[in-house]
Amino acid sequence: MIPVLRHLGTLIGLVVIVLFFAAQLPDTFLTARNLINISQQIAMLSVVAFTMTVVMVMNDFDLSVGSTASLAGIVAAVLFAMGFPIWVGVGAALAAGILGGLINGALVAYLGILPFVATLGTLTIFSGLAFFISGGETIFGRDIPKPFAEFARSGLPLDGVGLAGAQLPYLTIVAIVTLALVWVTLEHTVFGRKLYAIGGNIEAARLAGIDVARARFAAFGITGFGAAVAGLMYASRVASANPTQGAGLMLDAIAAVFLGMTMGKQGEPRVLATLVGVLILGILDNGLTQMQVDSYVREMLVGSIVIAAVAISSLGRRA
Amino acid sequence: MPDIIKFSGLTKRYGTACVLDDASLLLVGGRVHALMGENGAGKSTLIKLIAGALRPDQMTARKNGQDLVLRSQADAMAAGFRFIHQEMNIVPQLSVAENILLGQPVPTRWGGLVDWPEMARRAANALHQLGAPALNMRRAAGSLSPVERMLVKLAAAFVGHEGAQSPCLYVLDEPTAALSQTEADALFSVIARLKSQGAAILYVSHRLNEVMQICDDVTVLRNGRAVMTAPLANTSKDEIILAMTGRAVADAFPPRPKPVVWDFGDDVICSAQYVATKSLSDLNFTLRAGEILGIGGLAGAGQTALLRLFLGLEPPYKGMAKLMRSAVPQSPSAAWARGVAYVPQERRTEGLMMAMGTRPNAMLAHYKGMFARLRNERVQTEDLTARLGILAAGPEQPVWQLSGGNQQKVVFARVLAQPPRLLLLDDPTRGVDVGAKYEIYNLIRELSAKGCAILLASSDLPELLGLSDRILVLQSGRQTGILKTDGLEPSDLLRTFYAAPPAAKSLISETI
Repeated sequence: MIPVLRHLGTLIGLVVIVLFFAAQLPDTFLTARNLINISQQIAMLSVVAFTMTVVMVMNDFDLSVGSTASLAGIVAAVLFAMGFPIWVGVGAALAAGILGGLINGALVAYLGILPFVATLGTLTIFSGLAFFISGGETIFGRDIPKPFAEFARSGLPLDGVGLAGAQLPYLTIVAIVTLALVWVTLEHTVFGRKLYAIGGNIEAARLAGIDVARARFAAFGITGFGAAVAGLMYASRVASANPTQGAGLMLDAIAAVFLGMTMGKQGEPRVLATLVGVLILGILDNGLTQMQVDSYVREMLVGSIVIAAVAISSLGRRA
Repeated sequence: MPDIIKFSGLTKRYGTACVLDDASLLLVGGRVHALMGENGAGKSTLIKLIAGALRPDQMTARKNGQDLVLRSQADAMAAGFRFIHQEMNIVPQLSVAENILLGQPVPTRWGGLVDWPEMARRAANALHQLGAPALNMRRAAGSLSPVERMLVKLAAAFVGHEGAQSPCLYVLDEPTAALSQTEADALFSVIARLKSQGAAILYVSHRLNEVMQICDDVTVLRNGRAVMTAPLANTSKDEIILAMTGRAVADAFPPRPKPVVWDFGDDVICSAQYVATKSLSDLNFTLRAGEILGIGGLAGAGQTALLRLFLGLEPPYKGMAKLMRSAVPQSPSAAWARGVAYVPQERRTEGLMMAMGTRPNAMLAHYKGMFARLRNERVQTEDLTARLGILAAGPEQPVWQLSGGNQQKVVFARVLAQPPRLLLLDDPTRGVDVGAKYEIYNLIRELSAKGCAILLASSDLPELLGLSDRILVLQSGRQTGILKTDGLEPSDLLRTFYAAPPAAKSLISETI
């Protein structure tokens, strides 16, 4: 029983949460519309959490993803406002994300600064930069090109699978593509093998000829890229950009990875397990909102669940 | 009447391996007793047993005829035993006075505030009673030199803990390992002071000269047995070395498969000419394909640094160090890419990802291209597991669940996954049981027969002699000679470790 709880406790938790809401909200919860809705709501968090997994595999983490996301949205919106075409704005935002991530990577991998300190510093810098570029204002309305805002509101028609009139949102598709890419990277490439080795024993990996610094550098670049993608998705969804809109992503993303880590055989992060973590957080959010539970209560509940999951898993490990 | 502390029947087994076998030890107040033996002879196990840190399979401890119970470290403390370890566990952020009085009730004044002057006075008094030079009591202990730390630890042991009996036995484990000669002399005078106050001292050291200088009696351990106990006056250096190394050395090692040839041809794998690095100097040697060059010396003489010279972690700043006709690599990844393989000394911290299986550990150094091929990795791992006889429940069983010998074989699986041109071995059988040891020796021979050049550092003297074709001797990072092992006696080799450099010269064969 204990080993089952240890590895599958979090998954069982997810099932329990789904069953609970299905019972409490029989008419609205388990409907295609609501499930599609959830998938769209969690798309941004998913992308950040999946790419966060890449650095957490090495026991590193990145606190700056939230401000990177905000900055990416601002960069795109400011360029849109200046009249540049969409592809320029999007390209520049993604480049800013990668650059921010690589700066984190350089600080951690080549200067040897602890990820906590390095990314705490860049968190502040990127956030300040977002305010600086935007002048502290929200950019919205006519400045945001229509096709850009339209992206988040459309999707692939699902008529073919018997859901006439429903659409699979493009945001969900972006999240699924990210999941696939990260999964292939971590589980099926040489790069992924190296990341797990570094997480397993960084000194052993170095002495066995793994270029540890280069791998860490690149991994932070991926996380920065993911944050920028999420920032653009957010900006598209609300058809505006303000310098704080990504702020909530970081803690939830790390929480999702931690929830997932409770399912790893040796407590290691796996991206499919991160998906379970994201689903738990997203479904709780959706269900509790429908039950009109106060959002502060929701926060307390989410925090307790993360702690409980990790506690159960570490108790099981000790036994 | 001096205290008489007697330990007998000291026995400790791990599974079938007996690391300490019915050893006994008699310590007398006012005398310094040396405990000697090679690595793995059982010295540290013996100390752990009398410190109550390890449960013995059998042990009788008596003090002045009274039985002692040593079930925990608190028991040992209560009996008046004090232990000063080679890794000196001072608290670096605290002051000297606080470190000396650690474990004592803190003197207070003004209704509960710490009485700092009183603390400093008590701590200074302890140092003074030891005959140690005075220290600034308010300095942070982390800023002390190694010998000052040692003195602080001694003073702390001397003061003892609240409620414990006053000390009757001090155990010093390799106390001079990090000390210079003058620093060691300061320590010796403190030892003399403790001795004159009637305490018994157990002095564990590899350094024969020191032992001859300051000890009264000696006990030598070999393979867990006390093979010799005598007053130092009645014995000699040579007798002690013989007792430490024993005679039956040759048979335990697989011989070279072909007749021993001294000419290894011209296929030079690596070489050094007048090379110096941060911690090494005077390196001069050539290593050819198929040859095993041992690196000998006292613990910490620079063996690991010499191996890491070819791993790109010990950059030379003088002379010419070459790997296959070009400069030595500048990073471990460059080294492995050029056919160097490394078996580090500490397999847990430097060798293995303990929570991962045989497969990722063995494949670690050999990932190529873009995509990993799991099926390929599994097949290769199964092949290596079979060849090395690794006992594991499949390629994914975390290696922390394996025995030490099997873990070491996993490290060798990484080497064998792609046979290297140059193999760097740092204590390759450390903490490995006898059976696995022999298998590892066979493996080393096999690689060597296929033309792999091997640099072998080992703290195990018989191993070094049994496997190497020649042995390079290091003293404090300096190469003092290269000896052919053909006909070399362990005692002769050990003597070169201790010898002053000029004396060693006569033993050096000048073939480089």
